Amino acid sequence: MGNIADIRSDIGIALRIAALRLRGQMQYRSSFLMQIFGNFIVNFAEIIVLWSLFQNFEDLGGWTLEEVIFLHGLSMVMFSLGDTVANGVQTVPELIRDGNFDRTLVRPMSSYIQAMVNEVSLRHFGLLGQGLLLLGIGMATVSTEWTVAKLLYMTVVIVSGLALFAALFTIEAILSFWTVNSIEAVNAFTYGGSDLGQYPLHIFRQGMRFLFLWVIPVGFMTYYPSLYFLDKPDPLGLPAFAPFVAPVAAVIFCFVVGKGWTFAIRHYRSTGS
Amino acid sequence: MTEPIISARGLTKTFWRRSQRKGMLGAMRGLVDRGGTEVTAVDDVSFDIPAGEIVGYIGPNGAGKSTTIKMLTGILVPSSGEVSVAGHTPWEERRQLAQKIGVVFGQRTQLWWDLPLSESLELLRFMYKVPERRFKHNLAEATDLLDLAPFLETPVRQLSLGQRMRGDLAAALLHEPPILYLDEPTIGLDLVAKTRIREFLAELNRSSGVTILLTTHDLADIERLCKRIVVIDHGRIVHDGELERLKARFSSKRQLTLDFDVVPDLASAVLPTGTALFDQEGPRVRIAFDRHERSAPEVLSLMGRFGTIRDMSIDEPAIEDVIQELYAESARATA
Repeated sequence: MGNIADIRSDIGIALRIAALRLRGQMQYRSSFLMQIFGNFIVNFAEIIVLWSLFQNFEDLGGWTLEEVIFLHGLSMVMFSLGDTVANGVQTVPELIRDGNFDRTLVRPMSSYIQAMVNEVSLRHFGLLGQGLLLLGIGMATVSTEWTVAKLLYMTVVIVSGLALFAALFTIEAILSFWTVNSIEAVNAFTYGGSDLGQYPLHIFRQGMRFLFLWVIPVGFMTYYPSLYFLDKPDPLGLPAFAPFVAPVAAVIFCFVVGKGWTFAIRHYRSTGS
Repeated sequence: MTEPIISARGLTKTFWRRSQRKGMLGAMRGLVDRGGTEVTAVDDVSFDIPAGEIVGYIGPNGAGKSTTIKMLTGILVPSSGEVSVAGHTPWEERRQLAQKIGVVFGQRTQLWWDLPLSESLELLRFMYKVPERRFKHNLAEATDLLDLAPFLETPVRQLSLGQRMRGDLAAALLHEPPILYLDEPTIGLDLVAKTRIREFLAELNRSSGVTILLTTHDLADIERLCKRIVVIDHGRIVHDGELERLKARFSSKRQLTLDFDVVPDLASAVLPTGTALFDQEGPRVRIAFDRHERSAPEVLSLMGRFGTIRDMSIDEPAIEDVIQELYAESARATA
């Protein structure tokens, strides 16, 4: 890692790298827009599933269609942002396999931030657009009063969720320092976590609830803040401050993952010549 | 004597070579299970390199060359031993060290594939915090010496290997590092490109006093650039010293090339003592002999009984052969 000044300067350079690379991609504008549009369409299937679900059931564990749409939107926004930020981090297994990770270690810049901009792509913005659309529809249709405090806290929650999902993708990257085969197992937590976060947590079994609250705190990013946003009671009986632990949970989770990254770097084996 | 700019003491790196397991379950087990064998890639290596030297670091594939370089650059953390490079412990002070070293890996690029060379260099300028004026000056110099102008605006992925290598050299030197590591800098290049790179490196060392450590398979690189070579085999140093001394050590071995007028049958023949058949291509026969045991005229007259000799020549030991001898000797020593 490094000190704050180093990190700030690294982020500045990373943004410069990202900007240059994106400008390159924009030169092929039609294909660029098609990518985003395609991503939008593919994810639209989920909305159809949701809609047909509510054709058969009045509500989902006491949540209305509008409320579930809101939860979907919130989860999709954080996931797509986390996915975009960690886009390059997801290429670490490739970087290691091709021996290109070496170069990140001989430059005066954090290897993690270099990995982040190893691939820059806005294709996930299709999903983001859809998430924002659902979030907007949900916010407009639920019967709750939107206060300034709620809107401000929603921003905090989205940033926390972004960090959590980025950290989950980082776990895949960390594991790839030892093995590339186990990465799919972690996908169950990243994509699975995002899917699960789209539904009210209390409808799941005890084991799943435990996993996605206390091991991977997705529930504290989506479900619990939504109880506060939507003025709903907590059927799981956690203390009243549970909706507000999102930033703390994100910081702890990222800290542990950060330690994992440092450990991985020390045990990096490099490949080939 | 001044402080060495690079120094290694008892440098050792061992790896666990795990037995590969199939499938998801095997992969998960691979994470916790320590089954496998320990391989020592670099074994108790020590050397000092004074500032301004060019040292060739050579050895057969898998001898530990790259592993050593990776420890000296901070990429790998050694299992044991100490390293000091420009006053830093590489793997603990990567950021500070990075400012003082330039690294060129012949088979990989430091540049961004999708960006033009000029933009890659610009990004590196920010990364290394090179002041604008220094950057302009260094870029102009590199453009001139390495003739970068024709492809400065070409995306890196479209460059030829030789052009890319020149671009990589410029990139490695933008921040004026006092130390340059080169891992196979001429691999895959044609003769003209190789010569150009060698001349550039020799000039860089002469004019700026840059310390260069290079690994190579091309011994012409060594002959052109290095006074001193360090030879590693099976992770251990088997020679460290002047190239000329190494040659002298093995120079008692000579080779006599004889052209017979008809193809001599040497396969079943008993050759004179102190000589050995090196190889035979039709009527051309090469005999290896030890200068201390036999003189060349002696070998020539002894070989006369296998037929009429039309032509002959004596070869000094080529550096390739010297190195071969050295590997063979170290193999005998470990056997």
